[in-house]
Amino acid sequence: MRAASAQVLAPELVVQARDVMREKIARDAVALALLQYTPEVCLADADTLLMDVSASLSAFGGRRHLCHRVRGSVQALGFSLQLGMAPAAQAAWLFAHQEGRVRRVIRLERMHHCLNTLPVALLPTAKRYESWLMGIGCSTLAELRRLPRAGLKRRTDPALQDQLDRAYGEASELFEWIQAPETFAAFLEFAYPTEQAEQLLLAAQRLVVQMTGWLVARQRAVSALVLTLEYERRRYRLASTDIEITLAEPAWQEAHLLRLMKERLNHLVLKAPVTVLRLKAKQLAPFAPPTAQLFPEPGGTPADYRRLLELLMARLGPEAIRLPAPVSDHRPEFANQWQISSEAQQKIQADTGARFAERPFWLLEQPLALTLRGHRPFYGSALHLLSGPERIEAGWWDGDLAMRDYFVAQGEEGAYYWIYRERDVNQARWFLHGLFA
Amino acid sequence: MSAISLTTSVGEPSSLSLPAGIASSVWRAGQMAMGGVSVTPSGWPALDKELPNQGWPHRGLTELLIRQTGIGEMRLLQPALQRVAGRIALLQPPHAPQVATWMDWGLAPERLLWIRTQRHADLLWSAEQILRNGSCGALLLWQGALRNEAIRRLQLAAQASDIVCWLLRPLSMADMPSPVSLRLALQAKGQGLQIDVLKRRGPPCATPLLLPWSLLRGDTPFFTDESHHALLDRRLSATPVSSIAAAALV
Repeated sequence: MRAASAQVLAPELVVQARDVMREKIARDAVALALLQYTPEVCLADADTLLMDVSASLSAFGGRRHLCHRVRGSVQALGFSLQLGMAPAAQAAWLFAHQEGRVRRVIRLERMHHCLNTLPVALLPTAKRYESWLMGIGCSTLAELRRLPRAGLKRRTDPALQDQLDRAYGEASELFEWIQAPETFAAFLEFAYPTEQAEQLLLAAQRLVVQMTGWLVARQRAVSALVLTLEYERRRYRLASTDIEITLAEPAWQEAHLLRLMKERLNHLVLKAPVTVLRLKAKQLAPFAPPTAQLFPEPGGTPADYRRLLELLMARLGPEAIRLPAPVSDHRPEFANQWQISSEAQQKIQADTGARFAERPFWLLEQPLALTLRGHRPFYGSALHLLSGPERIEAGWWDGDLAMRDYFVAQGEEGAYYWIYRERDVNQARWFLHGLFA
Repeated sequence: MSAISLTTSVGEPSSLSLPAGIASSVWRAGQMAMGGVSVTPSGWPALDKELPNQGWPHRGLTELLIRQTGIGEMRLLQPALQRVAGRIALLQPPHAPQVATWMDWGLAPERLLWIRTQRHADLLWSAEQILRNGSCGALLLWQGALRNEAIRRLQLAAQASDIVCWLLRPLSMADMPSPVSLRLALQAKGQGLQIDVLKRRGPPCATPLLLPWSLLRGDTPFFTDESHHALLDRRLSATPVSSIAAAALV
């Protein structure tokens, strides 16, 4: 049918030229993503991918689970698929091409039983002889098999008999498995320039699914990756934006990489509509499978914790997360140091020996100047000094001299405060520095 | 699964026969909830008696309403924090925690995680991530104004995780309804810390609990009843009596 006549029949029809190159890219992307389930993936005719999953069935929790995950991965890439599973590749191919039903067959007898009812025309080489075969009353594969072999071979294509034998598992098959490329770089071109973070994320997910497949196939984990956003070149003439994501611990899990990407993308302000998204694995590390334990730890694994820190940091920024890094110093504000979590966690070296005086739990970041009422410091109510002074005089060496007498004081209601009097002035000046919570 | 059965009759509630399978999941409003939930003992026997299952619940939020920061809320939680396994996350605390005190309380400094967020939405998001991740043992969250939906969401996240989670809010929020199943109000009274159980899975608590300061401050030398002047005199003496005293004079 010509495009014009089709247009007449269906006015809302949109005609698009077939892009063989893009089809190939899409097929390669799916193949790469599926490498995470088995190292043996190959391309078959009629846009079909064959996977040898005989070794993966128990690793992924059975055929049902495996099919579910394969389906999820392919759908994440934006494609739909039809699945078939059988002990012989040709039979799986036939099941996948059968309309309407999903067949996941493991046993050979069951496969034979299912194959017997299939129409002859499903075999690609039998299409040409379909009317002839129908004419001699041969409509299913079972009936085709009952025909004399020599006669069938002479009257039709010899490949037909081969294909039939392969489908029934009676002839061996040879495959050319896909090899994962040495480096990973994938891109995705939008049909229309987009400004939506959700669309970018969806596209990023397609790239991450491919990367997961590649990482598993090459037995690698990624520790740094770069997401590049390219803008419309003709209209905006802007340089592309690179988002570099560095991981504290090499990872390969799709969900974790996506979460990090999502937080980063949510913070990004786009300069212009994006046309192309590229993902590149910048730094790789050997893939270390998690060390399994007989009894799971109650607090989760250290890797879980690092993943949490990474996730929090991706959204809140590195300054938001603080880990203690105490320093031996008598001035409390200097002793109470923190490190931001992106730095490598150093060993905590401050002395943990017995302290003479108790310190309050909360330390005010800026000491609060207290007023005096009746010669007594006042904070909400007049403060009653309980103990002290504890004299701290330090910092003459670095210009931050502190000369203070610390007291523990109690307010009228009973709450305890840590206050100090500055010693370097004649008039007493009181400050609140901590709260005994 | 839990269900509530209200018995209006004065007679024995146990006379109502229940199938053996669900008897433990039914909580009667007149009795304290028992069993089925893992808890961390609070370390204060008097308080444990008033809490359902005798401790801070693992699954679910606990709301602490405090009159003012620094009235002893951390001291109250200290024994529980010591018992909790794993890291302790402080989310948006009002002041900086002092690591020296943390270590004095017998808590390893590696276990402390202090998170500060700029925006309200980030805070709730962080809390949810921590609860969902499950690598922390306890979560303390300071936040005043929270919508009920947000608290409900936190409550659901907390129920799904095995983390002891405290939500610390100002006392002024006590009148607001809250979906949290355990609510305590803390106030400093002259003699000690007064704890009102506002809501719990159990009969209403008529008399507030008072934890005396001496008990709360406990074993620290600083708060013992010895004469402070004597301590001062000793320090001012020319000959240092002990090496510890000399160290404190630096």
